[in-house]
Amino acid sequence: MNDWLGLHDFIYYRTREGANWLLEGTFLESSANDIAFFIFTLSVCLITFGGIMLSMFMILWIERKFYARVNDRRGATTALRSLWVGENGVTAGEWWNMVPYGLGKPIGAINRWLNKVAGNSGHKHEMVNRVGNRSWYGVTIFPGFFQNIADGMKFLTKEHMVPSRADKIIFELAPFLVISSTIMILGMIPLSSGIYGANPELSVLFAFAIFGIAPLGVFFAGWSSNNKYTLLGGIRSAAQLTAYEIPLLLSILGVCIMAGSFNFIEIVHFQHSSGTWLFFLMPLGAVLFLISMIAEVERIPFDMPEAEAELVEGWWTEYGGMRFGLLFAAEYMRVYAASILFAHFFMGGWHAPFAGTIGSIPYLGAAWLAIPGVIWTLLKAWFIFTVVFVWARTALPRIRTDQILEFGWRMLLPLAILQVALSLVYRLYFFDASALSDTVAGGWTWDLTVLGYTLPWGLPILTTMFWIGLFAILMKDENIVENEERMYHIRTMTPAGTHTAGKE
Amino acid sequence: MAEMWITMGPQHPMTHGLWTLRVKVDGETVTDTEAELGYIHRGVEKICEARDFTQITPYCDRLCYVSAMTWAHSYVMAAEDLLEAEVPERAEYIRLMAAEVQRLASHLMWLGAFGPDIGNLTLMTWCLRDREMFLDLLQELGGSRMHYNYPRIGGVKRDIPIGWGNRLKAKVKLFEHRINEYEMLLDESTIWLVRLQGVGYATAEDQLNAGVTGPNIRAAGVNTDTRWTNPYSVYDQVDWEPAVEKPTSVKGADCYDRYRVRMEEMRQSCRMLLDAIDKIPGGANTHYQPGDEMILTKAPTRAPEGATGFSTYECTRGVSNFYIQGGGDGRGKNPYRLSIRSPMFITIPYVAKTMIGYKIADIPAIMGSFDPCIGETDR
Repeated sequence: MNDWLGLHDFIYYRTREGANWLLEGTFLESSANDIAFFIFTLSVCLITFGGIMLSMFMILWIERKFYARVNDRRGATTALRSLWVGENGVTAGEWWNMVPYGLGKPIGAINRWLNKVAGNSGHKHEMVNRVGNRSWYGVTIFPGFFQNIADGMKFLTKEHMVPSRADKIIFELAPFLVISSTIMILGMIPLSSGIYGANPELSVLFAFAIFGIAPLGVFFAGWSSNNKYTLLGGIRSAAQLTAYEIPLLLSILGVCIMAGSFNFIEIVHFQHSSGTWLFFLMPLGAVLFLISMIAEVERIPFDMPEAEAELVEGWWTEYGGMRFGLLFAAEYMRVYAASILFAHFFMGGWHAPFAGTIGSIPYLGAAWLAIPGVIWTLLKAWFIFTVVFVWARTALPRIRTDQILEFGWRMLLPLAILQVALSLVYRLYFFDASALSDTVAGGWTWDLTVLGYTLPWGLPILTTMFWIGLFAILMKDENIVENEERMYHIRTMTPAGTHTAGKE
Repeated sequence: MAEMWITMGPQHPMTHGLWTLRVKVDGETVTDTEAELGYIHRGVEKICEARDFTQITPYCDRLCYVSAMTWAHSYVMAAEDLLEAEVPERAEYIRLMAAEVQRLASHLMWLGAFGPDIGNLTLMTWCLRDREMFLDLLQELGGSRMHYNYPRIGGVKRDIPIGWGNRLKAKVKLFEHRINEYEMLLDESTIWLVRLQGVGYATAEDQLNAGVTGPNIRAAGVNTDTRWTNPYSVYDQVDWEPAVEKPTSVKGADCYDRYRVRMEEMRQSCRMLLDAIDKIPGGANTHYQPGDEMILTKAPTRAPEGATGFSTYECTRGVSNFYIQGGGDGRGKNPYRLSIRSPMFITIPYVAKTMIGYKIADIPAIMGSFDPCIGETDR
């Protein structure tokens, strides 16, 4: 079912009408449609890209806040407002009054309003407290939300240095390879069925073909920097990304087999019209996708290529200034792309959850369905980012290179092949194409009929229960005494200190 | 890939200080190592020859910036041996508690630095958060957060403040819960185990031959804890047991054993502190003025020519020895010669050789598990 906010089609028709009306009778009349198409493509791409970029501040903010909260502190964060709001809400030189012709007056008004509604009057020393990491400096709206703008400004002021014996052309080329390929992925990813940059028929294949370009740039960067640490980081990165690309693509192949399409929008629509999120049909695939994605975007616990303990900063050690900033931004863009992809592949994308049930409640249902699809996409992506990416980063140490590769080749790859086989079986033997429905409530294609009795949503329920049960069994603390031959467990039978050599 | 030398240090996250580890690698495997020390050699031993016995204590504080109290304690023990000074029992208890609080702070600093070595930054902020509690306690004693200048020859500078004992109890009890939290974060995580178990083996025999002491060798099953085998101060009067790990492998203690032994040692320090604060003579809630004979006895300031003083002390990283020969300057006011044995100076070259055969990624794990401190190494 299409999202009601069909921005894409709206702009397409409006630009076409407008261009035809404007250029009627002029010498450009014959090419009015081409001009309209140009304007339409430009504006749609800008809207999509801008939406993703602006909402990316949200995940950066979430990560900082979550991380700080886990680490038991509020985090030394700076709100943009604190750049000019001084102690006790008093501004440090009201600079907006110095802007000629009174153009700065609105900023002063906004600032006074902010101080009134969310300010800290009554609290002293806001800046001091903020820098001192104290938490009683008053409530502000989204404190620290604009930290990254400040960071970006700082990066822009830094000098760009190239190591003297580096391979200059490759050194300059590598970040652009990484960044441009990352931005191209975002062009393929729809925010909703009405907001997307481009929608080719095989958009999934295309997006992941681009996804595979970045490792090349990483290797270029590691090799050309003329530094042993970057070289090691680049080689580690190449090995790791190659090893995890395959399970990643296989788990996506499972999704595509289930949905019968290589198109993002059709995959999301399939989840709605078939009646359930793909997560409940292939939890294994979802977990494989997440693990491979964490490895692909090189975050803890798979951040071996930039292991700061032994390789300083890995392959981007030699980059400084805005090139470092852009590489860093590219990493977060890939993380964000991964989160949105998970929302699309496994969590129903821009469709409201329980659209049929909640949607049938009077008044509330209408409000529920009136939420634009893009909001649901972003909420799901932020949720996945917080629960998986940030939490893993706070709780887990880093895995060694050989262990990463062993894990990838020996465990993820067979499991991914198993998932592809399972998807085939589900699609061929359990899928009921006649029950597909494109209504608000969705279809009932995965009902399980055994001995004449039909269990609604039978297959998703049974599949999820099976995998959750298996997970619970595997996560159960093993009995150390019985499992002595196991490779990794807490081997200390007698805790340290219980056998006292001194006393004997 | 051809072998190449990588120079890690003197500025490198792995080093935990200023020194250089040169590593020869074949791909990711370490084939040879070489430790270069001496970047922050300050000549403490020589400086001390021109100082009074009292003036030397702050220099000994600065030997190790994460466990200043134990080094100063070690020095004043040697000086008391030299000057034949008596120490009141209350002062001994206070010194013991100060040293054990310092041991907790030092081990927390170790764990906090060990976490980022393995890749977990959360551990660092947690450990530094808890270390603050103990630094606050030490600050109440010495007035400073790093270099306290607290022990005196023949006692301590000041008595414990009123209420210090209660604060100590509360903090130690809270910290006992926090250790469990750490173990929930670390020991329950398979990644933590696979990074530490089976990595950095060091046998007891090798370590004994090299002269490694402290928690590192206790992890290999040898109890060299001088607090237990040769009790000084009042360690024989409080309730505790040395933390000794029995490694399961014939290859000796791995990083995990060394991690376990320090965690256990923190528990034992907590136990010792809770017992000592109850047993302290004069009570924990009385405060004697500075110079009171309950906390400080008058010690001679001059040592006769030819007299020697010696101390064997269980520092947080191993056994530290001070050897002082009196009668410098011909007046006996200064030491003629002061010699310091630092445990890490002996350990670090040994550790560099244990890394051979492991991966590059194991270098921070192995180095971090031995808890290097370069201040005392270079002296």
